[in-house]
Amino acid sequence: MNFERLFALAKQKGIEDVQVYLVNRSELSIEVFDGELDKYEIADTTTLSIKGVYHKRMGTFSTEVLDDSLIESIVDNLIANASIIDSLDEAVIYAGDLEYHVLDDLFNEELTKMDVANKIAKVKQLDQLFHQANPLVSIVETMYSESTRTVLLQNTKGLKLENKVNSAMIGGQIIVKNESDQRTAFDLAISNDFADFDLEKIAKEAVESGVRKLGAKPIPSKNYEIILDKDALATLLSAFQNVFSAEAVQKGLSLLKGKLGSTIGSSLFTLVDDPFMKKSSRSRSFDDEGVATKYKELIKAGVLETYLHNLTTAKKDGVVSTGNGFGTSVSAINLKVLPGEHSYQDLLSSMKEGIVITDLQGAHAGANPVSGDFSLQATGFLVENGVEIKPVALITIAGNFIKLLQDITAVGNDIKTGYYGITCPSVKILSLPVSGI
Amino acid sequence: MLLEKALIERMIETALQTGADFAEVYVEDRASEMISQIGGRVEKVNSSKLFGVGVRIALGLQSVYGYTNSKNPEELVKLASDLSKSFQGNTILKPIPLGQLEVGTRHVARINPRDVSQPKKVELMKKAYEAAKNYDPVIQQVAVNLSDWVQDVLIANSEGRFVSDTRVRIRMYINAIAGKDGMMQTGGEGPGTGKGYEYFFEDIDIEELAKDAARCAKTMLFAEDCPSGVMPVIIDNKFGGVIFHEACGHSLEATSVAKNASVFCGKMGTQVASSIVTAIDDGTIENGWGSANFDDEGYPQQRRVLIENGVLKSYMVDKLNARRMDHQPTGSSRRESYRFAPTSRMSNTFIDNGTSTFEEIIAATPYGLYAAKMGGGSVNPGSGDFNFSVSEGYIIRDGVIAEPVRGASLVGNGAEILHKIDMVGNNLDRARGMCGSQSGSIPADVGQPTIRVASITVGGKKGAK
Repeated sequence: MNFERLFALAKQKGIEDVQVYLVNRSELSIEVFDGELDKYEIADTTTLSIKGVYHKRMGTFSTEVLDDSLIESIVDNLIANASIIDSLDEAVIYAGDLEYHVLDDLFNEELTKMDVANKIAKVKQLDQLFHQANPLVSIVETMYSESTRTVLLQNTKGLKLENKVNSAMIGGQIIVKNESDQRTAFDLAISNDFADFDLEKIAKEAVESGVRKLGAKPIPSKNYEIILDKDALATLLSAFQNVFSAEAVQKGLSLLKGKLGSTIGSSLFTLVDDPFMKKSSRSRSFDDEGVATKYKELIKAGVLETYLHNLTTAKKDGVVSTGNGFGTSVSAINLKVLPGEHSYQDLLSSMKEGIVITDLQGAHAGANPVSGDFSLQATGFLVENGVEIKPVALITIAGNFIKLLQDITAVGNDIKTGYYGITCPSVKILSLPVSGI
Repeated sequence: MLLEKALIERMIETALQTGADFAEVYVEDRASEMISQIGGRVEKVNSSKLFGVGVRIALGLQSVYGYTNSKNPEELVKLASDLSKSFQGNTILKPIPLGQLEVGTRHVARINPRDVSQPKKVELMKKAYEAAKNYDPVIQQVAVNLSDWVQDVLIANSEGRFVSDTRVRIRMYINAIAGKDGMMQTGGEGPGTGKGYEYFFEDIDIEELAKDAARCAKTMLFAEDCPSGVMPVIIDNKFGGVIFHEACGHSLEATSVAKNASVFCGKMGTQVASSIVTAIDDGTIENGWGSANFDDEGYPQQRRVLIENGVLKSYMVDKLNARRMDHQPTGSSRRESYRFAPTSRMSNTFIDNGTSTFEEIIAATPYGLYAAKMGGGSVNPGSGDFNFSVSEGYIIRDGVIAEPVRGASLVGNGAEILHKIDMVGNNLDRARGMCGSQSGSIPADVGQPTIRVASITVGGKKGAK
């Protein structure tokens, strides 16, 4: 599409400023089921999102059809959409920052150039490793997916920014089975460099975690001391991350309203948003509004330091954007809980009676980001005198997100970047009510 | 037409050139609109136009899929050709020529979303806002979202299928927040339809629903934390049906059955549930939230009796998974959009009416939890373990509904819970949901009459008694 023509027609019809955001994605995914190539998928798509400020309100339109013949209807839609907005917030299109951080490892050409047959061979190799790891492994689905994403952001304030990111994921889901029980497990690795994929480690860890869960049963209901392991903490943070959004705060949808500068968590707990994290495909030098991204501490030693802002929320609060404007809203980039000084073994050894939680399920429904309350299905291990003595499943843990942050008594140093792109260590929690039998 | 018939035929022929035994072309055009309002003011409006083409090719148990949003004939034929390179043989199958286009004619929207002006939609949202906001002074905030879409699909395959279908969906979310002394609780309603706007203008009373969302938020604000432990649970009708959807429905989809990954594998014809349980997945319900004329492989949607008087009668099966199973396809193939290869999914799934009345079920329960409104949930089909949240709950004492409790969740095992259903009501009703799985997020309807589960683990913040 000819953006100059779009910009010109928009101006002519009274739109103050226009921005286009063009994303092209090419994708590849491979699935192997019990040794055979089961699925193979390729895709190439382009999406154009356009926004325009009309009478200080932002109209938006997105399209996958990029013909110039659509220009007139796009402009009309922007005007119509902006015209029915009666929000008090002022919409802004950004002229740009003086400097943007240079991120040079977001695109690795080697990954894109690598032969597909080679990639399929790797997935089959992982499949083999799963099967060989333990005779109890009964069903294996192994997958690989890869995407390359190029972004062009251009606006009538003269800003033009581009970036290109590629990323791959390799992993598998398995079922382990003995005479009386079956359990699932999965593990994966994400990087844009095949050298980072330790297939033996993926297979070993998934199989071990599955086998350890065999025979898992509920335990009696009562309050237990809890270790939330690194994956479980990431799941929980993912469910509650919207509480840090200034948009949610301003609209009265966040429990952190009015809490800036106050202590909301344990002094052991520091949470940052790091847009420059190495080896993360989520890392960015600019957000969707063209604002330079920044490293920031959201919670520093228990104290709430900042919310996440886009241009609109920042203007309303009289601050500068934190570079977290994504889509038409606000979100974190790479959330990271800073590691503490204890090894995972330390956390375990000092526990007299308690539970290690390794998985949390149902966070999309059982965690309420407005009230902070959660009640979630959990899987893990019962610990007695510093030793994991038996696997536990079909229990729930319940609590409140803020109370949980306050009740952190120790932070591990075993950090991992999980599926949600959130990096966490394991943490120990004073106590939570557990429901079992 | 979304794509020329001759071009589709060329794509199918190209797809088969290296020995595949099945090829399919899926074309989709979708116009959507989303309006979000917070505190009675319109904050965001987005309209979008989606267009794309998906090509799927299979040989035996292997399949390949590709998609693009190009309309360019040469690029589309190239996509088919690139995909065909996954197979290394010679043509073994000559495609059956596409016949006359078969057009889906049921589930018509009388008032098309595109014919309703934006101010008219905003007016509807404001009505919901006002009703919820004015319900009680503790209601601090009300968020209302309205989204609608019109999806046109064209599906053709090497067996000569050539169909088109139009799916209209409209959904409003009303979220009321009650607050006091820094504490907040929420209540929500999410009416939706496979009809047009006549559903919102004529069939339902949006103000009543909005008030109910506010009532739920207020009730939960003053509720105690739910106790935890194992107890009988009465799950009310409508969205309560999410329990069958999560606990059993997903494990009856070929996605998990075909790969021997479901707890219900090999159970056909056996007693998998209490004999008072009959469960149905019906994709043919007139204008149902999960209905369509054709499934996303182009075959007619069907009514499937999954469990009859406790006996397993059918799985939900798509064409390719049927090749792994001793089971006919059941017209169950669905997908979010052209960006997903289709697979077996639920449509409108519900437990059928039993004989007890609501009052009888409550009266027959000395102590337990009454789950008046359910949130969502999830299941691990491999183990059958599921969870779901209760958004409005009450303790039952001596056969009477007593104090409200908040923050409850239920966990259990799908294979076990079906046997523990010991009372089934006669007040079947359905509600709308979005279901996420392998082929994306799709509208799925859930339903049931009020049921009682003899014992299930309830999780809550108050802890054990």
